[in-house]
Amino acid sequence: MEITRRDFLKLMAGSAAGAVVFNGCNAPEREMLMQSPLLMPEDMVTGLDNYYASICRQCPAGCGIIVRVIEGKAKKIEGNPDYPVNQGKLCARGQAGTQVLYHPDRIRGPKRLVGARGSGQYEDITWEVATKELASRLTQFQGQASTVAIMTEPLTGHLATVVKKFASSYGAEHIVFDSLADTVERTVANRSFGQSTVPDLDIQNANYILSFGADFLGTWGSPVRYGKAYGEFRQGRTKRGTLVQVEPRFSTTAASADEWVPVSPGTEGILALSIAQVIISQGLGNSAAANTLTGGAGASRLNSFRPEDVSKLTGVSTDKIIEIAKAFATQKPSLAIAGSTAGAHSNGVFNTSAIYALNYLVGSVSSPGGLVFNPKAPLPELQVTATAAATFSDLERLAKRLLEGQPPVNLLMVHNVNPVHGLPSSLGIKTGLSKAGYIVSFSSFMDETTEMADLILPDHTYLESWGDDIPEPGVGYEIVGLQQPVVNPLYNTKAFPDALLAIAAQLGGKMRSDLPWGSYLDLIKQDAQKLFALNRGSVRAPGFDAFWVGVLQRGGWWDTNAKAPAGAAPQVPALPSSAVAPSFGGDQSAYPYNLIPFESISLSHGQGANVPWLQSMADPVTTMTWTTWVEVNPKTAEELKIVEGDVLIVESPNGAIRVPAYIHPAIPPKIVAIPMGQGHTAYGRYAAKRGQNVFSILSPVKDSETGALAWAATRVRLTKSDDKIKMPKIEGSVFAVEPPDVDIVGVTTG
Amino acid sequence: MAEATRWGMVVDLDRCTGCQACVAACYAENNLPLNTEEMVVEDRAHNWIRIERYWEGEYPDIKARFLPVLCQHCANAPCEPVCPVYATYHNSEGLNVQVYNRCVGTRYCINNCPYHARFFNWWETPLPDPMPHYLNPDVTVRSKGITEKCTFCVQRIRRATRNAANEGGRQVADNEIQPACAQACPTNTIIFGNLANPNSTVSKLAKNERHYRLLEELGTEPGVIYLKKVDPHAKSTPERH
Repeated sequence: MEITRRDFLKLMAGSAAGAVVFNGCNAPEREMLMQSPLLMPEDMVTGLDNYYASICRQCPAGCGIIVRVIEGKAKKIEGNPDYPVNQGKLCARGQAGTQVLYHPDRIRGPKRLVGARGSGQYEDITWEVATKELASRLTQFQGQASTVAIMTEPLTGHLATVVKKFASSYGAEHIVFDSLADTVERTVANRSFGQSTVPDLDIQNANYILSFGADFLGTWGSPVRYGKAYGEFRQGRTKRGTLVQVEPRFSTTAASADEWVPVSPGTEGILALSIAQVIISQGLGNSAAANTLTGGAGASRLNSFRPEDVSKLTGVSTDKIIEIAKAFATQKPSLAIAGSTAGAHSNGVFNTSAIYALNYLVGSVSSPGGLVFNPKAPLPELQVTATAAATFSDLERLAKRLLEGQPPVNLLMVHNVNPVHGLPSSLGIKTGLSKAGYIVSFSSFMDETTEMADLILPDHTYLESWGDDIPEPGVGYEIVGLQQPVVNPLYNTKAFPDALLAIAAQLGGKMRSDLPWGSYLDLIKQDAQKLFALNRGSVRAPGFDAFWVGVLQRGGWWDTNAKAPAGAAPQVPALPSSAVAPSFGGDQSAYPYNLIPFESISLSHGQGANVPWLQSMADPVTTMTWTTWVEVNPKTAEELKIVEGDVLIVESPNGAIRVPAYIHPAIPPKIVAIPMGQGHTAYGRYAAKRGQNVFSILSPVKDSETGALAWAATRVRLTKSDDKIKMPKIEGSVFAVEPPDVDIVGVTTG
Repeated sequence: MAEATRWGMVVDLDRCTGCQACVAACYAENNLPLNTEEMVVEDRAHNWIRIERYWEGEYPDIKARFLPVLCQHCANAPCEPVCPVYATYHNSEGLNVQVYNRCVGTRYCINNCPYHARFFNWWETPLPDPMPHYLNPDVTVRSKGITEKCTFCVQRIRRATRNAANEGGRQVADNEIQPACAQACPTNTIIFGNLANPNSTVSKLAKNERHYRLLEELGTEPGVIYLKKVDPHAKSTPERH
């Protein structure tokens, strides 16, 4: 027998080395086995794992989760393999849910302000006192109910029912707040396709995807669902699909695309119409659809969008436009989608509807590999109606009202939204809130808006509470997700809907009769009875108790046969015959760069900032962590004489922030990009005083049709400051590993 | 008689979108210390799996390439022979194993790993209460002064093996074991299994024509096989820079 060096070292390392060596050439392997600490008796884990199915609430997509719980502690969150939205997969934000649940800076019980507003001086009170306090305020303002408002995130399922009933019964206004409200996409889904919800995308079966700005692999729509389908689109079938990403900034999706087409900001719709012009004039598309889309005029309706005429404006060459048009029309099934930046301009609806109209030309509306529409919810009680978010125009009016006190806002209840952080500071919402009569927050964390509250009634986290969800985008058939508490509430908190029910009970009279349920769970169970009575779908049982156990185990109920009715084809709207040009905040000569803010894949637009895992997770393209940066093209950097880490003053007509430069080889020279999510002044130890808030400098430009915030329509100028930092990024921390036979330009090290 | 085992992994780069779900899943499963901003700035952050990003070309014809890098569980692991206390060794299932309570922190293994897959605990990194509640009881929390790295989620391998033994001594089924990264990965980029079994999913994928291994020329014989990203626009004979 040959003893290799490794074997020899192994032998020498054994405690009875000599004995083993001379025991013969075939030392039994058990002599060599190192006892893993995992197998040591003192380390054996006692107790049983429990696995609970629930719904993730880290973003609005609503993935199904399975939480591993040992001895009452949530250990790990996985995707629910059964759940149709995400099919066992889960993103980084979903994984980080345990750090939300066990966050050290959670608000642990009801509190009442004792110092001046914003002083942070609170006293702990009981729920009884807290409920009475709010109930007495509500009684006080009963005669002037319109001066009372409830502000929440977009709601689905029964939470929407409770909040809407509470607001309407009292007469209060319900304001749905979302910094990046999908108003434009929703409007186009309605106008172009007659849908009240945004469509699902059949990425898995598409052959050619033309995405305008939609960062569907990172932050847009339902990224885990789309990611799962994308994997199959690439390598899960015989023919590999093609992805072309058209957008001014190089997003995560652009990084995965076969081709990235940098387009001038705000001209996405013009480019789409030019593609339509090529398809129609060359007779490549569905001729009936072409006829309808052009009002019978044919390609001549789109004469002003000929590739040679729009090439300069869009920054995309004539040849490229023709090439994309031909590929899109011939490599069917093809799919055109618009999202993120494409709709975040003053001409957002124009862009988005022009892009989605391309689907009609290639027969990809409500067909395999195209757009998939969703049926209504299985119960009318669950139909999503509350999600229509307040537009930026609405919020401007609210801010003005708060600032002027006319008509007054006597009582504002805020749940799970943070308008102080998530709105351009030109609105003055913070000053406005300081003038509001009385503010109640239901937040689990002391964020910037909760800091302004007079009374705090902290909600459970989603891992401690009941709920249900109709996911949007849906899955093409009826589905209801069920959220259940996986651990007992850690602190003296109360589920938001239960707090509202308790207050309604206290107020009595009409409030009590409109919201009669003993608890939120009673309401969910009451309607689960109706689901049970349908006697179809994924869970069927002889009795309700068995049905209830079944939906709890599987994380919800769905019926793969209950699809959207085929019905009559929606009214196809005609394409515009002239362009709607974008307008920008800031004059080009004074503010030469277009600012593209973008949603962080980990922090979103701010909610994830208090979670340390998400803070320390690298941005996929820049590998940056823990702070804000501004992406600058290398040539621009050369002109401005800046290098990585130089702190720049990024100034718009509406404010300035100081952000370190990241020299980004894939950003156009006249564009700079800054991630959203940081710049918190509060929100716990991991979020506060870190980075800069890009919302604060956005100009109040609005989509001309809907009044939604055109958050990609601000111009800025850059000035180098004397400060410099070492960038907290993962790239460069180790030398690069070169894959063979691949052209490598090297890792930017600054 | 248990079947011959060589745990291995295939990473299909044509599926990878760089989304970081694997990174977060690993943080949660393996009790990684919180990477503070200071740790990242000092290049001392712990990421058992990290996604490297490469640039190809120049604006506007530029492409990004993602490459998830983790411990390659090399058959000829350069980290193993340099450990003076036998804290890092090769087990009979092809795992490169780190025994934490032997490690004395020489960092020779870190120095010798060509993939930078090993991490040293320079600090004690206590979690504020009540964060320790989420710690995985199957995985040791490492203390200051020792080295740690990807284990292919050995605790999950052990659990599956134990379950199989308890269920009449059956074989562990193909795809029964999923490390946390593979389980989370939305696009199914990461596939784990037994490379010694020619019929396993991972063995079949490893034969794909796009396969390569990182720094193969070093002779480390990694247990992680990468499948090259498909580039429809690539030149027919790519040149290496």
